[in-house]
Amino acid sequence: MNDDLERLILNNRHSFQDEEPLQGHFERFEAKLQKASKPARTIRFQPILKFAALVVFALLIVNQVRIYLLPEKKDSLSLGSISPEYREVEFYYTNAIHLGMDQWKEFKSEGIISMADDQMMQKEQAEFDQMYQNLLVDLKANPTDDRVINAMLEYYQTRMNVMSLIINKLKEVKQQKYTRHEHKI
Amino acid sequence: MEAQYQNIYQDVIDRCRKGDTKAQFELYKLYYKSMYNICLHMLNNEVEAEDVMQEAFLKAFTKIDTYEGKVSFGAWLKKIVINRSLDQLKKRKVKFEELNEKIPDEEPVSFDISEIQLEKLKKTIQQLPDGYRVVLSLYLLEGFDHEEIAQILGITNVSSRSQFLRAKLKLRQMLQKEEFFEYN
Repeated sequence: MNDDLERLILNNRHSFQDEEPLQGHFERFEAKLQKASKPARTIRFQPILKFAALVVFALLIVNQVRIYLLPEKKDSLSLGSISPEYREVEFYYTNAIHLGMDQWKEFKSEGIISMADDQMMQKEQAEFDQMYQNLLVDLKANPTDDRVINAMLEYYQTRMNVMSLIINKLKEVKQQKYTRHEHKI
Repeated sequence: MEAQYQNIYQDVIDRCRKGDTKAQFELYKLYYKSMYNICLHMLNNEVEAEDVMQEAFLKAFTKIDTYEGKVSFGAWLKKIVINRSLDQLKKRKVKFEELNEKIPDEEPVSFDISEIQLEKLKKTIQQLPDGYRVVLSLYLLEGFDHEEIAQILGITNVSSRSQFLRAKLKLRQMLQKEEFFEYN
């Protein structure tokens, strides 16, 4: 049934395949082709961009952590970090204390200091160190508080005074030893 | 191992695989006309047909690595073009199974089919409802059998046959009407 119609179409199949797209389709396709080839390039760059963003992000975090931690380190620098004047004062005291300790070691090597005295000195120095650590904590919390600064200065002064008192006493002992020795001769 | 299909333009296809845009444009020039006509038969709209055809080409280029050479490149491309056209038809909500237009059962008044001008036949086919036109085009113009059409459209074999018969009947009626108006 109706095969004549079917045959007519089948026999003229080629004429049904003869339509042309609207004018300018080549240009339109070329433009689409160009556009389609571009995102492919950006896609290739995407992982690199992602990685770069990740690196920048990581650096920012590291920087934040550094900023957060660094001032604390500065604070731990003690009295000297407050002002150049205090740095000088601090240098004077610590230097004097170190000199005192050097002399103590010298006397020790000369045999003037007994073992018991040395232990007592170590204990005292440890106590001073502990006091210093406590003062540092206070200084970190209140870097501009004059009371803390004064306490710090007093600490240095006391430690230096104690040190020079001991050293002077030892010098006297040493002197006495020599004079006694001379008298004997 | 399955034999590879030897395409005439195999070198162009191979260059397309490497993303060579010149080769892609070359391939477009070789196949655009047949692909455009398929789209036009299915969509009955010149602008839409061009757009869908070109998009199908771009799609084909992006998945050209999946072309294994089991069939001719043209046949592979044709499948993509048809699927794209069907996607476009879905936007129009075309149903291929539910088109049950009332068509009189009696044999239409016979008329001399040889008198029908080819241009008028083409025009009338294009005027068929979407569902009928697609089945009729796929069967008569693109050369698919009913099993293939059923697979393409996601309908049963029987549905494809009945839709084709209905499409033919509708076409004949429309042609008769044209003849009638021409004589009056």
